[in-house]
Amino acid sequence: MENAIEVANLTKQYGDVTAVDGMSFTVTAGEFFGLLGPNGAGKTTTIRMLTGLTRPTSGSAKITGRDCVKEPVAVKQRIGVVSEVSNLYNEMSAWDNLMFIGELYGVGKQTRTDRVKQLLEAFQLYERRHDRLAGYSKGMKRRVRIAAALIHHPDVLFLDEPTSGLDVQSSRMIRSLVRQLNKDGMTIFLTTHYIDEADQFCERVAIMKQGRIVAEGPPEKLKATLQGEHVVEVAFVGDCSGLEELLRADQTVNEVTKQADKYHIHTTNPGGVIREIVQFATANRLEIMSVNTGRPSLEDVFMKYTGLNAVQVERMEQLRAVKAGRQHG
Amino acid sequence: MANRFSLKPAKGFCSLLTRGVTIAKKDARVYYLKPQIFGFGILIPAFVYLSFSLGREVPLDLLIPGLVGMVSLFGASSVEAISIPIEKQTETYELLQTAPISTATIVFGKGLAGSAFGIILSLLTATVAVALSGAQVGSPFLFVIAVIVGAFAFSAFGMAVASAVKDMPTANMSLTALRLPMIFISGVFTPIQALPLPLRVISYLTPLTYLVDALQEALISPGIAFWLDLIAMVIWLIALQALAVVVLNKKTQL
Repeated sequence: MENAIEVANLTKQYGDVTAVDGMSFTVTAGEFFGLLGPNGAGKTTTIRMLTGLTRPTSGSAKITGRDCVKEPVAVKQRIGVVSEVSNLYNEMSAWDNLMFIGELYGVGKQTRTDRVKQLLEAFQLYERRHDRLAGYSKGMKRRVRIAAALIHHPDVLFLDEPTSGLDVQSSRMIRSLVRQLNKDGMTIFLTTHYIDEADQFCERVAIMKQGRIVAEGPPEKLKATLQGEHVVEVAFVGDCSGLEELLRADQTVNEVTKQADKYHIHTTNPGGVIREIVQFATANRLEIMSVNTGRPSLEDVFMKYTGLNAVQVERMEQLRAVKAGRQHG
Repeated sequence: MANRFSLKPAKGFCSLLTRGVTIAKKDARVYYLKPQIFGFGILIPAFVYLSFSLGREVPLDLLIPGLVGMVSLFGASSVEAISIPIEKQTETYELLQTAPISTATIVFGKGLAGSAFGIILSLLTATVAVALSGAQVGSPFLFVIAVIVGAFAFSAFGMAVASAVKDMPTANMSLTALRLPMIFISGVFTPIQALPLPLRVISYLTPLTYLVDALQEALISPGIAFWLDLIAMVIWLIALQALAVVVLNKKTQL
């Protein structure tokens, strides 16, 4: 199958710091590909090099067979880019913004008018097409931004944190539209901090750490790499101090974390761990509210490869949402 | 993976021109009405001119070229001093960077918006000044040509400075720091021949000198000096636009 993106030994150095270190991967045409990684892993630098915003120090990147450095204009004609910030002109209406972008991409006037109407209708913004963007909500601005990236019908769509800091309704609409675009044959390259989002949509993901890809493959295949590991999730009524120490002493337990009112226990022996928990609850007269067992999630894979625990991942997502809120507010 | 509809190719001079005009139209809509343009592009030159010319007997052949030259300098360079830092700050510059156009097209388009603003202001000023003073313009056509070329050179000047700095206050301060000394040594208030030799030498290193001289020539009787002034302004225009492209690429393609 034809490759939409081909990256070979891509490297970016800022002085002594290597932001991206000899990265190589391919994305086939029509694929939904996700790039995951903690802050500073090199995701944004990678996307900037692929979209012509940053020159690589070495290595090569090709989009639909065109070299990103040697043929930047040809590459840009074939890609759509949605950055994390909704960078459009607040002084202009949604209609005028999209018409401007269309003209910049060389879309003829009649085609442009039809396409802008079609996109604004699809994104449920047609009724407010003549309102200035300054009066739009964050979610509406993001929808216009995605519409702007689609005006020339690109082969590859780059989405950098598309739902970061958005309300549930806007996030759902954007996810549904992006999924539809992919079904229609568009290649999607997504970077996100929402690991569930990547798990739900991406056919293949790559996890980055310190400028390198440390794991790559379909989410289910990556989850299978945590062979034999199970997750036990338990919640109590009352004080359960001492449980964490008890479980950590168990040789079959790999990790114990507390998220909200639940303990997440990674173990190779879920039955034994549940027995221990029940004994602990009985001895301490605690009521068990719920017990669940399951296979590791993509978040567990992410944690394994990046060295971040669940609390850090959660905090990272919260910080991201706050940061995005500040930028778009 | 063909596009669902054909796109006009983004190559060569035609693309530079058409996409440049697209950017210029957008800049005119977004930035012409910003209050900073009014302050730095219109009020400051008006105050400076009035402060130094009121109460002085200034001959018409010095007054009109000086006034028009100064209005052109401030007007044409102010749009970029606002638009480039705002676009970098709001990241709309990245929107332009990800479009299938070169940095030269962005510089040309933005320069066009600044030039158009400078040309409109200068011609309005010239019309009012000529009407009020009753002065005769030797060659109105060449006067307009000089105003157009001068405005392009000054917008490129504004672009080169604004590209190199981080934010709008720094861009405006840097430009003002360069524009103010320029108007005192370029024949706006005092004929260049009356300046001390070192200042006279420096005056030939500023584009404003050539515009004021070209306008004086057009006002009386344009000769070879007019065309030499025009060539000097075109050289300034090309050099400053090229500098703006290099600086923008260096500062934004990190």
